[in-house]
Amino acid sequence: MKNLTFSEEHRHWLTKRRRSSALVWGLRIGLLVLLLLFWELSTRFGWADAFLVSSPSRMIATVGTLYREGTLFYHIGVTLLETVIGFAAAVILGCAAALLLWWSDLLRRVLEPYIVVLNALPKIALGPLIIIWCGTGSKAIVFMTVIVGIIIVIMQMLTAFLATDKNKLLLLRSMGANKFQILKKLIIPSSLASFFSMLKVAVGMSWIGSIMGEYIVSRAGLGYLIVYGGQVFKLDLVMTATVILCLLAAAMYFFVALLEKILVKNADS
Amino acid sequence: MKEKILTFDDVKLIYHTARGETVATEHLSFSVEEGEFVAIIGPSGCGKSTLLSLAAGLLSPSEGSVRCLGSIGYMLQRDELFLWRTIEKNIFLPLEIKKIGSEETRKRARELAIKYGLGDFLDSYPSQLSGGMRQRAALIRTLAAEPDVLLLDEPFSALDYQTRLNVTKDVSDIIRSEGKTALLITHDISEAISLADRVIVLTARPAHVAHTHILGFSETDPLRRRENQQFSGWFELLWKELNV
Repeated sequence: MKNLTFSEEHRHWLTKRRRSSALVWGLRIGLLVLLLLFWELSTRFGWADAFLVSSPSRMIATVGTLYREGTLFYHIGVTLLETVIGFAAAVILGCAAALLLWWSDLLRRVLEPYIVVLNALPKIALGPLIIIWCGTGSKAIVFMTVIVGIIIVIMQMLTAFLATDKNKLLLLRSMGANKFQILKKLIIPSSLASFFSMLKVAVGMSWIGSIMGEYIVSRAGLGYLIVYGGQVFKLDLVMTATVILCLLAAAMYFFVALLEKILVKNADS
Repeated sequence: MKEKILTFDDVKLIYHTARGETVATEHLSFSVEEGEFVAIIGPSGCGKSTLLSLAAGLLSPSEGSVRCLGSIGYMLQRDELFLWRTIEKNIFLPLEIKKIGSEETRKRARELAIKYGLGDFLDSYPSQLSGGMRQRAALIRTLAAEPDVLLLDEPFSALDYQTRLNVTKDVSDIIRSEGKTALLITHDISEAISLADRVIVLTARPAHVAHTHILGFSETDPLRRRENQQFSGWFELLWKELNV
């Protein structure tokens, strides 16, 4: 460790910094524990009706039941697969569309108002159409996930492509670069940071899409459990599925953040 | 007489915007000889950068002609190094773009970098270098493809004063020792005097040549020139000519 060469003051500063970060983490976890404890106790002491608000212990029991029935991982798997496929498709198709719009100025100017309108349209309005076009299976849910996510992918990536430093473009053109070289050497690498911030937004969008899709059509998945639980007034099931959803969404977000940490090393000046 | 490597002949350029048109230059004629270091100064807003775009062939004149007998290398105000590339990869950029990257051209570019003090930084990223070093790397990148003419667009204006004097000397030494032809555009009179063989003074828009001066310094070192008796004389004259 370099620590030995640091001054007393600097070591003190480092300790203080470590302590303050430990404090933040401690408080974060403490808050969660406190919340769960309060929730549990308020149902035990009858301050709140466990039938209406469920409770941590009842949720654990529900997870146990689902596990024993063998449906826990089935439902998680269905939703996760739909979300990930929809997410990947939205990102790939959206980036391809953004590249096309960057490449052709005419195309971009022609399609701009259509994209704006599609962005403003609440995608849930397309529900009936999707059922008729794609049926009531996973295909419809993936389709819903894609249309919820793709517009934001296109808009964010196009903005990033168009925001490329004018002087760097000038530099490449003065070297005689063609459009494909400009794309490969400058536009794509300089948009990497924006790509990851777009991915983080797209993660959230694809969960919205897949759960919305399951609300409309599904026979399996976490969204289905939530709707079903609501219909038969099994709020334990609703709460359990929601919490699992939280965990999955967080995991996916952190996976993207980790990928960013590994790949975006020298993007900042 | 030496060959005229870059010639502007009665050049007119009109800029078009939705609001109207602007005549940036009109009846603009001058030339740069091989091996010469020419500085162009002009009142602000006289379209200096437009001139370099014309020279680089990125813009075509509305009237008249711009002829360049060799290849050009363009150095901008900021270093414009690509942050995701190492210094070496930045220097190789023009070789990749011009598709002349071979073992030999890469070796020559690398030697150029080592010769001018970038040897230890070839594997570093731009963010690890000081402003002066970065600008030096930008110059080596410009030189890597062995251009016949260097176009310099106020390449020191983004640096702080001390770095600026040092980098000016660096760049001057490198250009002189490589025997390159250079066209510098600047609004800084003292920079023009300390670097050039010849100074061209432009008028306000539409820009054309107002005066041309052969400076006639015996030394090329920009710092030594600043100590020279003639320096302040030239400064006064050019200052007056810019502010008519």
